[in-house]
Amino acid sequence: MRVDVRALGACNRLSEQGAKQAADALSELTGTDLAVEVTGASVASGEDLAEAFAGRESIGVSVGLRGGLEGEAVLAFDAANVDALLSLLPGGQSMGHSAVSEVGNIALGGFLDGWANYLGTAIDMTPPRYFEADGAAVLPDGALAGDGVFLFESRLDATTTDLDFSIYMLPDSGQFRDLIVGKAAPAAAPGAEAAGGSDDVSGPAVPYESLSTFASLAKRGSANAADNIAMMTGLETTVDVSRLRFVPLADVPAEVGVEPHAGTVFELQGKPSGYLAILFEESSAATIAEAMLPMEPDEPLGDMAENALCELGNVMTSGFIDGWANVLGTSIAHSPPEFVHDIGSSTISPLVAKLSQRQDYGFVIDAAIRTEGVEARCDVYALPDERELAAALAQLSEP
Amino acid sequence: MSHSSPSRSRQGSEGDETGVDPGRIKVGVGELAVATNGETLTTSGLGSCVAVGLVDRDAEVHGLLHAMLPSEDDARSATARPAKYVDAGIETLIERLRRSGASAGRLEARIAGGAEMLDLTDAVGPRNVERAEASLAAADVPIVASDVGDGVGRTVQLRADGGLVVRAADGFERTL
Repeated sequence: MRVDVRALGACNRLSEQGAKQAADALSELTGTDLAVEVTGASVASGEDLAEAFAGRESIGVSVGLRGGLEGEAVLAFDAANVDALLSLLPGGQSMGHSAVSEVGNIALGGFLDGWANYLGTAIDMTPPRYFEADGAAVLPDGALAGDGVFLFESRLDATTTDLDFSIYMLPDSGQFRDLIVGKAAPAAAPGAEAAGGSDDVSGPAVPYESLSTFASLAKRGSANAADNIAMMTGLETTVDVSRLRFVPLADVPAEVGVEPHAGTVFELQGKPSGYLAILFEESSAATIAEAMLPMEPDEPLGDMAENALCELGNVMTSGFIDGWANVLGTSIAHSPPEFVHDIGSSTISPLVAKLSQRQDYGFVIDAAIRTEGVEARCDVYALPDERELAAALAQLSEP
Repeated sequence: MSHSSPSRSRQGSEGDETGVDPGRIKVGVGELAVATNGETLTTSGLGSCVAVGLVDRDAEVHGLLHAMLPSEDDARSATARPAKYVDAGIETLIERLRRSGASAGRLEARIAGGAEMLDLTDAVGPRNVERAEASLAAADVPIVASDVGDGVGRTVQLRADGGLVVRAADGFERTL
């Protein structure tokens, strides 16, 4: 069985439209402006998801899906934002759980309308169930079970208030497989945007099973990256990769955000070619650079730190791409590092522009580096050529 | 189309301190928006991308484009999304402004962005700027001010009076 990568793209676009409908519905209800910040599809193992959500406390509602799409959808707020949410709702604090349930019901209803339109079928929701959950327990039932589940995630952001929330949808995989295989991307129903595009060049198809292989690529790469850093610095180092997400390229700059970031960018040559960017928030960049230098640098992000970050980027990137090349059975080389230090989204916009000439999606790897008790979060933006990656993945499954 | 419908803030809500805040419209990457009620149009994280702000002050209509690539002709990706490209985006923006009451003859342009952020990506920033200048010249829209090139990221706001506020990563701000 093969999956058209562009069909996945269509589903992603649908999630985005669904999330926009949810945002509109909620804006009406609360009188607060909400915008869809990021929508992504991820392929992740249960173990990885559990790690990614560790330490978070959420409240929200879940609904079961019946009909055209079966599975479960969850709308979750960070528990810390609940008061802000309640204060915006008619009835406010006194309404408590029922207000949250009502919001969830409206937003999820909006979200699912987009999908139902696309499928040309009805999706029924079971009544909303209120929950409070620690860590990954917030995710739909079944998300933690298998290896390689699809999870659609949208983050909405209130422009004036602290009210971010996420919608996770976990479609029942058997049925969902049929859907993304059987529904070619350009055959969008009326009301759905030409999600997969209008050209009829056959899209990059990859075997479904290879998608979970792909999820393991990030993991494999990170172990190599950590070994390389340890070898270079002599410091005990781990690189944790929680998830690999599939996001529209145009959303990548928003994903990085407008905070200043520092890091390195590489061009990849081989199969696949593309770009890789390792970006740290400024304070994390300074922390990790200092940990790597024999003495405290004169400036937090001056020349010494720049050299340290370039070296770090070099060994991390080699680690990642060696891991990928091993899994894919290809060879991949990388350019020397280019140091960047600017508005986060600005640093990545040229890469996005370059790749958008021929594709609409990229991959984001959420990673954290820990070295000798110093923890620095970073994001690794792997932006491979979609067709070359699909071709390499497809070859994996050939006998 | 959904791509060209950026998130829109509403009129100042009840209890708004000033009571006159006309709101903001956020314009994402590869999007454009037109404002007719005095809203400020904002877009962030311009690197090699170029922002084109157009205003017809007499008609009180203004619009902002955040385009990624010079020309639709270079596109090999299949998405119909004119605001992704400088040339198609400018054309679409002018058309949208016209439909909102602007006169093409009264439009003036301010542009920002088009930085050379990376050596790795063969000068997409300067090519974006060149294309913006050419497309605006072809449409007879004068560029009254610009802040383009260099290696810096920018965030911009287009005010209703046409002023384009450009802020760099170090916080330096200027109004074009």
